[in-house]
Parts: sequence; C-alpha cells; structure tokens
Amino acid sequence: MLGFFKRLHWMDYLIVAVIVIAAVTITSRIGGNLNYDWRWENIPNYIFRFDIAQDKWVSNLLIQGLVATIRISIYSSILALILGIVLGVSRCSSNLTIRMLARTYLEFLRNVPPVVIIFIFFFFLSEQLITALNMESWARGIARQENNGVWEFLFGDMRRFPALISGIIVMALFQSAFVGEIVRAGIQSVDKGQREAARSIGMSHFQELRYIVLPQALRKVLPPMANQFISLVKDSSLVSLISVPELTFKTVELVASTRMIFEAWLVAVAFYFVICFGLSMLFRRLEKS
Amino acid sequence: MKFTRRYAGLALASAAALALAMPASAQQTTQALTSESVIESIKQEGVIKIGISLFRPWSMRDLNGELVGFELDVGRQLAEDMGVEVEFVPTSWDGIIPALVSGKFDVIISGMSITPQRNLTVAFSDPYAFSGMTILANTAMTEGFTLEDYNSPDVVFSARRGATPAAVIASMFPEAQLLLFDEDGASTQEVLNGNAHATMASEPTPTEEVGRYGDTLSVPFNRAFMASGEAFAFRKGDPDAENFFNNWIGIKTRTGWLQERNDYWFRGSEWSDMVAE
Repeated sequence: MLGFFKRLHWMDYLIVAVIVIAAVTITSRIGGNLNYDWRWENIPNYIFRFDIAQDKWVSNLLIQGLVATIRISIYSSILALILGIVLGVSRCSSNLTIRMLARTYLEFLRNVPPVVIIFIFFFFLSEQLITALNMESWARGIARQENNGVWEFLFGDMRRFPALISGIIVMALFQSAFVGEIVRAGIQSVDKGQREAARSIGMSHFQELRYIVLPQALRKVLPPMANQFISLVKDSSLVSLISVPELTFKTVELVASTRMIFEAWLVAVAFYFVICFGLSMLFRRLEKS
Repeated sequence: MKFTRRYAGLALASAAALALAMPASAQQTTQALTSESVIESIKQEGVIKIGISLFRPWSMRDLNGELVGFELDVGRQLAEDMGVEVEFVPTSWDGIIPALVSGKFDVIISGMSITPQRNLTVAFSDPYAFSGMTILANTAMTEGFTLEDYNSPDVVFSARRGATPAAVIASMFPEAQLLLFDEDGASTQEVLNGNAHATMASEPTPTEEVGRYGDTLSVPFNRAFMASGEAFAFRKGDPDAENFFNNWIGIKTRTGWLQERNDYWFRGSEWSDMVAE
C-alpha cells in the first residue's frame, strides 16, 4: 500500500485534487439549482417486491426490463454473428455482384443514424415478417396454455413476443453490418499462403473457408467482437422507441407513473453499467487465457 | 351488317350481365366491410388489443408494476362487454398513431384528444372524457401575471412533445417560447428549476405537483382551457367499429359509469396509495 503512494508523482496528487474539487463543485451546484424532491425510498420496490399472494419475492418493473434487455442482447448477438459472418464472407467474395450487394448493405447501415434504421426495419421488415408468419396468434396461443414455463423462461411474457422478436431482428440487422466489417478484417488478415495451400491440397472453396480461413480469422477478431457485443447491449436501449419492453422502456414507464425522473434513470444507468462492465471484465479474462 | 349485329348482341348481353351483377356486388361490398371490421377480428381472435401510452393518472404502473388508471378501467369494461380478453400494449406516445395504422393494436384508448390533424390519419369515436388543461406555473417567475401576460416572447413554456398540452400552448400563447420534452416529468422539472415559466396539464396532475412543491409551483387560474374531448382512435374506413364504440360510449355516459370512473381517477385521491408518491 505504502509502495503505491510512493510511486505517485506530485503531479498525480494535483490531478486528483482538481478532479475532487470539480466533483464537489458540480454536486453542490446541482443541490443548489435543482429543485427536486428525491424519493429514493420508493426505488427498491420497483426492483424486487414482496408478493403477499404468492408469499415470495418477485421481480418488479426494473428487473423485468433488465431481463428483457439481456434476452434481446443474447439473441440478437447470436443472429448478428451469423449474419455478420455471411456478410463478411460476401465482402471478400470473388463474385462482383455479391461483393457490391454486401457493400451496399453495409454502407447504408453505416451512414444512416441508428434511430432511423430502427424505424425503417421495424415498420417495413420485422412487421411484415411477423404478419406473414402469423406469429401473433401463435404466441397468444402459447400464452393461453397452462404449461408454458419453457417459453416464458426463454422469451418472457408470450403476449409481448412479437415486440421482443422485432426488437431482436432490428438489433441483429443493425449490428450485423459492423460484425460483418470485423469478420472481413479478420478474413483479410489471414495470410494468402494459407488459402493457396488449402486450394493446392484440393479443398473446395467452402472447405477452405470452413477449415482454414474462418477459424483463424474469428480467433483474431475476438477482441473487437467483444467490444461490438458490449456496444450492442448499450444500443439495445434504442429499441425502446419501437415499444419493446426492455430496460429503457420500463424506466420511461416508471418515470411517467411516478415522476421519479432522476432516481429511475440513475438506477437504469447503474444496471447498464454493471452489465457492460461485467462483460468487459469477462472478455478481458477470456482473452488472457 | 352481320358484324354490327353480332357486336350489338354482345353489347346487350354484357349490359344485362352487368345489371344482374350490380346488386350482387353492392351486397358483397357491405359483407366485405363487415367482415373486415376490426370488431370481427376482435371477436375471432377473442382478444382486444388496446394501445396505451402511460400518462398519469390516465394509465400508470402501480407499486406491483401492474397497469392501473382510468384507461385501464375503460378498456377492461369494454372487453368485458364484448366478451373477449383484453391486452394492453404500452407504446411510446410518439409512435402510437403509426403503430395503430400498421395494425399493432385494434384501438387507442389513451386520453387522446380529438384534433383535426390526427383525424386526418385516424378515425375518432365520440368523446368519452373531457379534460381541460390548467396552467402549472413557477410562482416566483409569474408573479402578478394575467392570462395575457403569458403570451409574450419572454415567457417560456415546457410540454411533452406531440401531446395535447403542447398544441394547446401553441394555439393559446403563440408568442411564447415552447420547450419540448419526451415526457411530462421533464417538462415539470424545467418549471421547478426555473428554466420555464409554466407548463400545462390536465387535472389532477397540476394540483398534485403543487401539493408536493408548494413553495415553487402554483395553479394560477382555477379553470380549464380547451376541453376538446378525448376519444377512442381506430383505423379509418371502419363504420362498424365507429358504430360500436360510439354506442358503447353513449351507454356508459348515460348510465353515469364513465362519470363515476372519471371522478374516481381525476377528482378523488383514493388511488394514490396504489402508486408511489
């Protein structure tokens, strides 16, 4: 401990002092300017509440939202990974048409604000898909059944299944462009000799990708991929705009019902931070091993 | 000559066929209208999907995270009278009309006041509630203001984007500046912080806020402005739905049920224990 302090330069102390003074000033100014009646005591009830009828603790709004956010993140990242690999491979294809199509898709997504993309995908794509597959009445059928524990565990309230699915599809399509670019970078970083060797021992194009290129490429792009996944968790807050009942949407609902603007948002921020920071710690450990 | 006669016969025959087909097609049209009505699809699915956007005390989450409020009572009663299940779809206010038009739910029951602009996109039933707006003002900043004083470029209003108060403010006080926010809490907070002179909302919210922040806020005028009436919104071109909703609202108005529910949520405070204060 003493060694730690010895290693500090006087400059470090100065920087710390400036930061502390700035923090104190900002906090005191908030206290002075912000005419706000803090009601932190109401918040725990919206995280977990004691249900008298069932005689046990059950999750309330904020945890329900958090769980939905985690579900959306996991499913859409799996989907985005699959789409991203297809996109990355097509970006390196020898066929010009495929390459151009993949490039168009990517440039479109990269140069349009995410909110716009989400609205476009929601109203024009996922909506069509849900109607075409008659997903709504199917999900309602399951919601009405007695024994739907597995479905509820996987997707939450089945009545809200179409909303969840469109959130997942929208996020996956949106993120697939970035995953695709990462995969392309990985593929292009594989030494040309490797591919030539694969062709020379008579592997087909598919075998070459499957056994030689992709395993090496994906291993190389693990760190940026992990980064992309964390940014997906954060971006999932955008789907609250299309009324997917995830953490941000539930927080808005809580604010609209109770007017606890700052408490509710600060808790939501803490939840997002815990997930994302936890993930980045986990990925760091995975990279080391 | 021969040709002409043949064509004349053909023309006559097709005219006759058309004449026969006409009444049949009119009947088909009425049948198609009925079968395409949202009322039919509600009966078929056994569920009515109602779009709401949380807006205290119209609809809100109680301490258990369940939906409660005036709209919820209306929606549940409507479903019960139709003999179907009810499903509320919480939607953000900005996207509630596009969501209705694209078929996410059957009807909006969410304190939506009738405006000509909205009416161009959706159909409205008869009004089922009349809630006028009151001004909620920062007491210190609006000391000695008459109603005319609010209509000045120096006065700042805050309101929720796309909601009725914003439209009312814009038409009542065209000179004043208007700050728009995503939800009501933020616009009230701006008045509290002194960044805006006033906001508008339907009772009982302003009175509640004055109860909490008596030192800063006040309701300067004890009257409601622009009670335009709130109605059910549904997709256009559906006469059956219009007829059904209008008659339902008519019955509930005449029996006093709507008034009684309205008083419970908008005048009384019995429900305040259900929601965190």
